[in-house]
Amino acid sequence: MLSWLSRTASSSIGKKVLMALTGLCLIGFLVVHLLGNLSFYADADGAAFDHYAETLDSNPLLPIAEIGLLVLFVAHIALALRVTAQNRDARKKGYAVRTDHGARTPGSATMMLTGLVILVFLVVHLAHFRLQKAEGVSMAGLVRHELGKPLGAGVYVVGMIALAMHVSHAFQSALQTLGINHPKYTPLARKFSLVLGVVLGLGFATFPLYVFFLGGNA
Amino acid sequence: MSAHGSSDSINLTLHVWRQSGPEDKGGFEVRRLNGVSTHMSFLEMLDVMNEQLVAEGREPVAFDHDCREGICGMCSLVINGQVHGPIPEITTCQLHMRHFKDGDSIYIEPFRAGAFPVLRDLVVDRSAFDRIIAAGGYVSVATGNPQDANALPIPKRNADLAMDAAACIGCGGCVAACPNAAAMLFTSAKVSQMALLPQGQPERDRRVLAMVQQMDAEGFGNCTNEFECMAACPKGIDVSNIARMNREYLRASMCSAEGA
Ligand code: HEM
Ligand code: FES
Repeated sequence: MLSWLSRTASSSIGKKVLMALTGLCLIGFLVVHLLGNLSFYADADGAAFDHYAETLDSNPLLPIAEIGLLVLFVAHIALALRVTAQNRDARKKGYAVRTDHGARTPGSATMMLTGLVILVFLVVHLAHFRLQKAEGVSMAGLVRHELGKPLGAGVYVVGMIALAMHVSHAFQSALQTLGINHPKYTPLARKFSLVLGVVLGLGFATFPLYVFFLGGNA
Repeated sequence: MSAHGSSDSINLTLHVWRQSGPEDKGGFEVRRLNGVSTHMSFLEMLDVMNEQLVAEGREPVAFDHDCREGICGMCSLVINGQVHGPIPEITTCQLHMRHFKDGDSIYIEPFRAGAFPVLRDLVVDRSAFDRIIAAGGYVSVATGNPQDANALPIPKRNADLAMDAAACIGCGGCVAACPNAAAMLFTSAKVSQMALLPQGQPERDRRVLAMVQQMDAEGFGNCTNEFECMAACPKGIDVSNIARMNREYLRASMCSAEGA
């Protein structure tokens, strides 16, 4: 009945469109996540950040949002693994000498690698702040505790470098995949993609750097 | 300094891929080639090498070529890791030896993609492209005699874009240069040249669905928008064609009755 839909979704273009859509939703989540986290800097004792965390937590719709987020990640990663495996098979035998023609970027050439680093980061991140979350525990205190450790801060900074590189290619790539290409806007979108990657990466990286080097705001 | 004492001739060390057939493992053969005139084309240089091989009673190196003026799309080769060599927007047959220096080592490999199996030495089978075209890359109505120039108004911009897409000579360099061995630039150029013109409209949805399906069936990779194809393309085909094909494909899949 819906064979046309599954045919579309499993085609080369269809898979990339689904990656683009899930990726763009994840970028949207990251923007909101970063804006929310900025409340960490609002006061010295972390009360604003704790209040933000509690408000989120007490929202009955939070579990639904979390499931949505999980679906986005799982779909994006499953498609990424499938697409990357197919792409490897498509070449069969590689070149003895390989010189790029100059169009690849550090971001575009490392999407699977940066994606996997983000995945590792994600596991650590959820272990820190999703699994240790509990009634009466200060979220700001938890952040200061985990990001004050050298390993904790290190994992966050490396994860955010990977994120910056991933998004710097991803945003404009997703537009191209969706067929959104225009002589007036595409050159801007390419630049914006780089800016977006750097802003998200740097923005999130300020938290481990601030906590680790300046001891946080307590 | 070259062996002939003239800057018009250079000595080279060639590392040429040799493979006796599709099943053979293949490997590089290293050959010195002295006194190569810098006025030669790359393919003429290979001709000279082959004359020497024949004189030695050995099999010449098989490589594809036909027009030798950059219009037929037959020549191929990956030269020192670059499709059609180091100069942008030319084919291998248009590459001249003046771009190489005395004493250079040159690695010469066939286009590499699972969908382009090596037949022999540097010759690969690119008939996967023919099958993509046969799936829908044509207009089936007989167009008859040329009509009056202004009978069929076409915006200048569309005419230009269609002409640019039609510049594709189907050499397969995009596949060879793509990190994923994807055939998106070729297929999208062929989809675009017809999607942009009135004659292409009646079969527009059917065409893009069939051509993409055939492209996938041939085992080409998925596009990750690295744009190496465009940088390697001897005709400078633009990746905006790929965006157009993605658009056409989504429109035909999701909004047309085709393939229901
Ligand atoms: C918050 C995290 C992430 C965001 C915001 C994100 C975003 C994106 C976007 C927008 C694209 C472009 C899709 C397209 O052009 O069609 C993309 C591509 C890709 N992503 Fe992610 N992604 C994330 C996490 C991951 C993870 C965890 C992995 C792997 C385990 C991954 C692997 C890939 C790969 C391999 C590509 C393909 C490269 C390409 O097509 O351009 N990503 N990502
Ligand atoms: S031989 Fe015809 S394009 Fe090179």
